[in-house]
Amino acid sequence: MSHFGLMTLYAFLLGGFFAVLWRRERRDQWRLFWQVFGGLLAGALVLGWLMYLLPPGPPPAGP
Amino acid sequence: MDPTPDSPSSRRALLVGLLAWALPGAGHFALGRRGRAAWFAALTCLALLTGLALAGNLHRPVSGQPLTYLATLGAMGMGLVYFVLEVGLGYAGDPTAAGYEYGTAFLLTAGLMNLLLALDAWDIANGRKD
Repeated sequence: MSHFGLMTLYAFLLGGFFAVLWRRERRDQWRLFWQVFGGLLAGALVLGWLMYLLPPGPPPAGP
Repeated sequence: MDPTPDSPSSRRALLVGLLAWALPGAGHFALGRRGRAAWFAALTCLALLTGLALAGNLHRPVSGQPLTYLATLGAMGMGLVYFVLEVGLGYAGDPTAAGYEYGTAFLLTAGLMNLLLALDAWDIANGRKD
């Protein structure tokens, strides 16, 4: 599975978990699920692009 | 009002908490929250199985590395499964696997999720939560 696929699965797991744990009404559960799921995915993408602007580190040492 | 520490309801709450820790979803199932128990069991097991499929690290204490103790406590949150994997099956993960770091995150998350479930079941059994 790709990095993005694993990240999506991770966000799905956490979104579902906290929605069922912290909310009782179905409508509230869905709202929290999308907030956590979307927040994790969007946050990771934004952070990833911000890191793209940082200067690269030193090249890896050879064998 | 909270029950006294040695009252029957307090002992029951402790038992429910321990059951919830031992098996994901079992505490909520014992409390009659069967639908939620099924969701919790499914989500925790999915995290666990993904971590195992990616050959992630199942944390264990390493002397001289204090953070490994904390991580081990988190991983032990998955209850009996941790000990079955660690002691029974000798599972160690594979640091050379492509998904090793991701797998480690999934395994640690499964443990932490189940710890939260144990606390939630304990609170419900104590009457502190609905």
